[in-house]
Amino acid sequence: MPASFSRRAVLLGLGASGLAAGAPGRAAAQNAYANLEGTPWFYLTDAEARFLAAAGDVLIPEDDYPSASQVGVVDFIDLQLASPWGKGDGLYLKGPFPDGATNSQGYQMPYTPAELFRTAISRIEEAEGTALADLDAAGREDLITRLSEGEMDLGEDIGAAAFFQELHSIVNEGFFADPIYGGNKDYAAWDMIGFPGAHAYYLSFVDQNVPYEKPPMGIAHIPGTRRSASLGASAGAARPANRTEEG
Amino acid sequence: MAARTLPKTDVVIVGAGWTGLAVAKELSAEGQRCVILERGDYRHDAENFGGPEEHDELKYARHKGHMIDTPTKTLSFRNNTSETALPMRRLGSFLPGKGLGGAGIHWNGQLWRPLPSDLNMRTHYTERYGAEILDGMQVQDYGVSYEELEPHFDFFERVCGTAGQAGNVNGEQNDAGNIFEGPRSSEYPNPPMKHSPPQKIFRDTAASMGYHPFPMPSANVTAPYENPYGAQLHPCTYCGFCERFGCGYFAKADPIICIYDTFAEEDPIEIRYRSHVLRVEKSEDGQTATGVTYLDQNGEEVFQPADTVCLNSYALWNVHLMLVSGLGTPYDPETGEGTVGRNYAYQTIAAAGVFFNDEVWSNPFMGAGAMGMTIDDFNGDNFDHTDLGFVGGGYISANQTNGRPINYQPTPPGTPSWGAEWKQAVRENYLHHIGIVCHGSSMPVQGNYLDLDPTYTDDYGQPLLRMTFNFPENDRRMSEYLVGKAEEIARNMDNVRAVSTVNRAAEGDNYSIVPYQTTHNTGGAVMGTDPSTSVVNRYGQMWDHHNVFVFGACLFPQNLGYNPTGPLMGLAYWTIDALKNDYLQNPRPLMDA
Repeated sequence: MPASFSRRAVLLGLGASGLAAGAPGRAAAQNAYANLEGTPWFYLTDAEARFLAAAGDVLIPEDDYPSASQVGVVDFIDLQLASPWGKGDGLYLKGPFPDGATNSQGYQMPYTPAELFRTAISRIEEAEGTALADLDAAGREDLITRLSEGEMDLGEDIGAAAFFQELHSIVNEGFFADPIYGGNKDYAAWDMIGFPGAHAYYLSFVDQNVPYEKPPMGIAHIPGTRRSASLGASAGAARPANRTEEG
Repeated sequence: MAARTLPKTDVVIVGAGWTGLAVAKELSAEGQRCVILERGDYRHDAENFGGPEEHDELKYARHKGHMIDTPTKTLSFRNNTSETALPMRRLGSFLPGKGLGGAGIHWNGQLWRPLPSDLNMRTHYTERYGAEILDGMQVQDYGVSYEELEPHFDFFERVCGTAGQAGNVNGEQNDAGNIFEGPRSSEYPNPPMKHSPPQKIFRDTAASMGYHPFPMPSANVTAPYENPYGAQLHPCTYCGFCERFGCGYFAKADPIICIYDTFAEEDPIEIRYRSHVLRVEKSEDGQTATGVTYLDQNGEEVFQPADTVCLNSYALWNVHLMLVSGLGTPYDPETGEGTVGRNYAYQTIAAAGVFFNDEVWSNPFMGAGAMGMTIDDFNGDNFDHTDLGFVGGGYISANQTNGRPINYQPTPPGTPSWGAEWKQAVRENYLHHIGIVCHGSSMPVQGNYLDLDPTYTDDYGQPLLRMTFNFPENDRRMSEYLVGKAEEIARNMDNVRAVSTVNRAAEGDNYSIVPYQTTHNTGGAVMGTDPSTSVVNRYGQMWDHHNVFVFGACLFPQNLGYNPTGPLMGLAYWTIDALKNDYLQNPRPLMDA
């Protein structure tokens, strides 16, 4: 991991190659972890971060609402892969891992989520010869489409479509999960769909045929703002150690 | 045998969920010393399930914070015996619990009774249609009737403060309720839940088509309430964090607030946490069990002797415990002999998705686990099965239960699953959609069963349970029929711009362990009146070891078109009644084999 790491530089590098619909600075500007600028990723390498930002923005591109990378999905994934979940907590990993698993049998790859993302991304970039983030928009879309359809050889123990499911799942989680986990910056995803968040009391509304107008509030909502406190310094912590400090 | 033997207790109970806590509550009142062994930890609604922290979709709904850890306890799975079963490496299709309260913490609270004809299904269908309608299926009677169970269904509904509208009180029908239900001895203890605009449209449309809509019975309580044990419940806030979450509002009935909290200090009940039961030990003559061997919280293997052994873990794990203990005779799908693991069944789920225009606001984040508007016209044998080519059925219900943003992203048919078009569709439809679920029954067939895996082991070195299951042809036809009915209702609703359908049991699709369907695994240790086709008798007592009593949905000979908690708790109180009023005074087989 480079000592002179800059999250901003990584994401700007994406913008320069045409990502984020011509708004090269926006990804960095909207990053939920601007306060982590200058610190290394908790788990990812720069190359992996660029892959995930580019892949995330193919899955959830910018329109009237921000893209995956613009709401901090790369930070979300980084933190998730560094967490106990990323290390395989809750995943039964005993062998053997025989050939011939059916789709009905679910996840059968001999990797923790962290290992899987590392291995699969490196195999994809190796097989393709060009980094995903360095392709133009059509090239990125094509690569992700081939991945989703299983039309890519990622070795005997990783099915392309199976890895795509993991990728799709974690990008989606990062976009829509509570902002305490690093994505969904300033409730962008919740604003987009109209989900008001974690402070939920609807006894007098539930039978009404009207829109619900209150803005979102997350688990660590900062009163008087449209923001959530974001995560503290340590990977894997689920919420800030001291919410009042930021509020 | 374990290194250390503990002092003997009267009753040892494996698992601190709904049934285990009910057994302890009721038998301790008879002076029985009860030891509950619980694999997980202590937890409590007041301390552990409060909002907003509990309202964390990633932690609880996605990463399943309240459920079993697969590295500790999982099973292997295959669709049929020609495949190699592989471990369920993470949770998906169903979500067993762990810790105090078990899966009763993260349920939705959809609280049903079976139909009278569900309980004597083989007899009923044979009389009405002739026995051949059940050919190829191992459908059986429960051996206990609706009339016998009714007081126990009624009691459990009061334990939960159930909210609903009766359709039949002592034979008197009320069209506002479920006119198909068996006669109940009393009204529901609380009025039904509120309903959202789409649910009212479903109600009116279904009624206009000649069906009989009614509010789904709900253990999400609608008024301040004190249950028969003295527990206090509060009205539901419709927060939308129900299934997969604990309820910090004390509004969703659960085993902790409804039963555990009412234990008194002087009650002879001891709960030991982080206690993983390895096997039930048998006496030398094999007639009874002597107690259970478990790993205590220090990892030490100890033996807990007991006069009575109650198996109250999740349906699947009860069967696992029998198999690793050598209790009963394992089922052989080739010969059809043996009973433990036989008649494993599931739930057959399909749904229609209704996409409204901007005139109708569902606001799906408002809801409750059992906020539903339901018809029962196609459940059980409420409709004529002549020439339909299947038996069974299910309820069809417009449910607004769990509209959280990661797991609830409805898009109309034809929408891609990612990219710009998908994003636009999610945004446009989130607030204007409702799902109509078809909650179908599941019939037992010879090739669907549970046994022990030859290859994979759990953390304790014991073989995993192995599940072999695919949807029987009967259930595929049933599900197709039901989803057709649901789709028809959906298309008749006003302000609808699109309708989607999904059928987990569609022709050509194998049952998959990946997408969540229901935590309604049933059978494997079924009850009955014939020891060659049941593990326990009609009292839940093992044929082979008369001091072992078995609880939970593993008792169901086939699965109902209803959620299992109400039926299985009715059976639990029935068994408890037999223990209290008969067996404990004179321990012996309660039926002749």
